[in-house]
Amino acid sequence: MNKTSREKFAALSFFLSPMILMVVLFYLVPLFMTIYISFTRMRNWNVEKYITEFVGVYNYQRLFYMFQHDPTFKAVILTTVVFVGITLIINVFGGLALALATFFISEKPASTFRLLWLLPRMSPIAVYSLVWYYFFHGSEIGTLNSILMKLGIISQPIPWGQIVPWGAWSIIIFVNGLVGVSFGMIVFTSALNQIPKELVIAARVDGASAWEISRKILIPLMKWHFLYVLTWQFLSLLTTYPHIFLLVQWDLVNRDYGTTLALYVFNTAFGRGEQDQGLAAAAAVILSIMGIIGGYVTLKVLQFEKMMKRPRGDF
Amino acid sequence: MKDVETRPRRYEWIVILAILLASLPLILGFSLLMLSSFSREMVTNLDLSSFHFTLENWINVFQGKLATTGGIRTNILKITFNTLVVALGVSGVVTFISALAGYSLSRIDFRGRKHMMVLLLILHAFPGVALIVGVYLLYRLTFPQNPDVIRLYSFFYVILARAALEIPMSVWLMKGFFDTIPWEFEWSGIIDGASRIKVWWKIMLPLIKPGILAVALFAFLAGWQDIIYVRTFLIDQTLATFIEANIEAEYSHMPLIAAAGTLYLLPTIIFFLTAQQILLQGYSGGIKG
Amino acid sequence: MVKIILKEITKKFGDFTALNNINLKIDDREFMALLGPSGSGKSTLLYTIAGIYRPTSGRIYFDDRDVTEVPPKDRNVGLVFQNWALYPHMKVFENIAFPLELRKVPRQEIEKKVREVAKMLHIENLLDRYPWQLSGGQQQRVAIARALVKEPDVLLLDEPLSNLDALLRLEVRAELKRLQKELGITAVYVTHDQAEALAMADRIAVIKEGKILQVGTPDEVYYRPKYRFVGGFLGNPPMNFVEAEVENGHLKVYESKIPVPAQYRELIEKLGIKEVLLGFRPHDAEVIKGIGEGLIGEVYSFEPLGREQIVTASIGGTFVKVFAPEGEHFTFGEKVTVKIREDRIVLFDKKTERALEFLEE
Ligand SMILES: Nc1ncnc2c1ncn2[C@@H]1O[C@H](COP(=O)(O)OP(=O)(O)OP(=O)(O)O)[C@@H](O)[C@H]1O
Ligand SMILES: [Mg+2]
Repeated sequence: MNKTSREKFAALSFFLSPMILMVVLFYLVPLFMTIYISFTRMRNWNVEKYITEFVGVYNYQRLFYMFQHDPTFKAVILTTVVFVGITLIINVFGGLALALATFFISEKPASTFRLLWLLPRMSPIAVYSLVWYYFFHGSEIGTLNSILMKLGIISQPIPWGQIVPWGAWSIIIFVNGLVGVSFGMIVFTSALNQIPKELVIAARVDGASAWEISRKILIPLMKWHFLYVLTWQFLSLLTTYPHIFLLVQWDLVNRDYGTTLALYVFNTAFGRGEQDQGLAAAAAVILSIMGIIGGYVTLKVLQFEKMMKRPRGDF
Repeated sequence: MKDVETRPRRYEWIVILAILLASLPLILGFSLLMLSSFSREMVTNLDLSSFHFTLENWINVFQGKLATTGGIRTNILKITFNTLVVALGVSGVVTFISALAGYSLSRIDFRGRKHMMVLLLILHAFPGVALIVGVYLLYRLTFPQNPDVIRLYSFFYVILARAALEIPMSVWLMKGFFDTIPWEFEWSGIIDGASRIKVWWKIMLPLIKPGILAVALFAFLAGWQDIIYVRTFLIDQTLATFIEANIEAEYSHMPLIAAAGTLYLLPTIIFFLTAQQILLQGYSGGIKG
Repeated sequence: MVKIILKEITKKFGDFTALNNINLKIDDREFMALLGPSGSGKSTLLYTIAGIYRPTSGRIYFDDRDVTEVPPKDRNVGLVFQNWALYPHMKVFENIAFPLELRKVPRQEIEKKVREVAKMLHIENLLDRYPWQLSGGQQQRVAIARALVKEPDVLLLDEPLSNLDALLRLEVRAELKRLQKELGITAVYVTHDQAEALAMADRIAVIKEGKILQVGTPDEVYYRPKYRFVGGFLGNPPMNFVEAEVENGHLKVYESKIPVPAQYRELIEKLGIKEVLLGFRPHDAEVIKGIGEGLIGEVYSFEPLGREQIVTASIGGTFVKVFAPEGEHFTFGEKVTVKIREDRIVLFDKKTERALEFLEE
């Protein structure tokens, strides 16, 4: 190495080593540890006892067996599929609708609404869950119940979250759907703001309605962003669990039909009662494989690499 | 769209009304919670006759009384402080690391740069739950023997582990901010004899102050709102675990929890009032190339 | 104070060749202008001299020292950017002092030098301000002061005047030229404004698509362009070109015939060339009403400019612009004769668009 490349190396180490250290410590090492655990009989975090007790692919076999025969686990898989599918649709189209709606109204109410819809993402998860805990509560203190009772639609309070499967599903989809909508909203809004105003003005002059402008001009120009929100949000929904964790913990929703695969992993590893980290790790590994494949496909589809400009200068 | 001639007012009101209607559960839920914190009983049943104004809940929260009858005492201030330590810690670590890494990814051409950026994107999308099992094992394996430092270590660990989760996205966000600074500033410094580190410290950091603020703010919120990591790693309680533990407890006086929840929501509200632009723009900037 | 020698410099960005085999010698204390259209590679060449870009091949010498591999900071160059790049978070004083601080110059010395250079540029009273509190012209002076304070061997300027309004530009232009001579510093000045290059430079290098087309004094470049492009790029309005055929000692342009200019007679004979481009500057010809000796055409338009007027004449469909005295009156479509000063005619080969006298180079 000559002098300049040595200097460059020194500078790079300075700038990058903290990040690399973090990535190694909290991503790569844990990933290997998770894979490792998935081949042991680890349970109840009894590390001393089980860390060397290898069981081969036993945990994976169990998962496969459960997938075929265990009704609880089947419920979890079904819940995951329904949850991801429906929430994804709500997120993408809800975000698009919000972005378009706020695009056509004046700036002040528009940014107020956008801010309001950021609330679910920005508020502490415990508070957010608390809000919905009361909203969907099964007794008459539940907001939804009391509204429906006042309107005379129901006479008895209904424990919504315990109605399986759709009651529980509706609640977790609703709660997480609200969080996800803001992502699409922000991305679409910034995309809309990049569209040359002249296009919209010209269409206005020609007498097009907001709906026509959206459908014929704005939405076609946002194809990339649409794909981006769709794929990214898919990955994110597949792996998210904090927002439904407390709803299940507090028994607001049914345990089996309120639990997605990600939450299942977490609860199996850290939940109340018997913990089974070996099994959790095996499920986590499968989830990771899906995540990595999904992430890679996403990057290819979105062609992120094209956007990565090279830095300038040769010093 | 303010500079385009607007449609008839009536038309705009319809849209506003529609969004308002869609936002109603959100508005209702949060308002009822805050309202309940000032009431003797919960008002979530929408029955305003059960609203009796009182400051008792707030006073009790600050005095650390958990139940009006039972007399279980919890030091809410201490808990709030714990939450703050975690949030500030995460914010500090994330801001520092991403300000460093974001600069080099934006400005220095080196082999593997692209791969590193792609890797960060994949890590950002990576299932967090798959990591936490391993992160916990690492925690157990590195747990100190000395009981005096155990609690300190748990703070230290939860901050680093939670910060790590924010790093991929924050580095991208920060890189985006560095990208907006004209190259001439960099070149000017280099020609005058500054090293890269000097350029970063003396020229670039002052120029991207708004970006630093945005990243710090998002990381703060991430640390502040977290429940999963603090309940898994932290020995002390935070507002999140406090609320989690007391919801179903027989002895809890629910309006008191509502007050604690409202207190917990305070930074979010403050940011909403003071940093709207950062919040609205931050999320899109970070993830796009 | 150094002499700069660029030897066969090529710079590629990926597959794109931004600089193509550049050879250039810039003398000590010389004011060299790099002139060319947008995207021609002027800035790239300047930054290569500064060391920001490393040439893909070729060498750079400062006097006898090979600086090709020397990092920017060890080249002792001062650079003024198009957008000036003043650090907005530093006051003017700190901006100017920054290069000295980086060199660990003692505090008092910094103070002294900053004041000196500020005085020279008439900005002593602005030292406590922030850049955004200054006008464009003032900011520009600060940028020059910052480049000069470290007493560089070479001053590099990248379109430093293009962000100023037209009047101010004229003023600063004169001042900058004088400053350069007073300091006796080697200067390389990038511009796409031909008037600026003509007015300020000792020599001009005309660049197009990463190649140097011609290097010479303003007079040489202006009156003896090597390429049609150079003639067409310099001057306002630029040089006129009309196609001509060589026919036994005459140039046939559309329906008119003029004798081959004396300075070209031998050359044309020797080259045996048949088709040429005839170039001449708008003030090297006159417009005579009616049909006479010269290029015959008709008035297409005329634009009074105060002291004189520009007449656009169509010669068989090719437009040429010629200056005419203010008093004369023309009408649209009127027949005129364009009479060219013979010694100022430049002939180009039609195919290669090179001036005939340089055709064999
Ligand atoms: N870092 C780079 N990577 C790729 N291409 C570049 C880079 N820098 C410059 N170029 C290309 O090289 C060519 C010359 O650029 P340069 O900036 O030198 O032009 P210029 O003559 O200074 O033009 P202008 O008058 O517009 O400043 C342009 O086509 C430009 O797109
Ligand atoms: Mg340029």
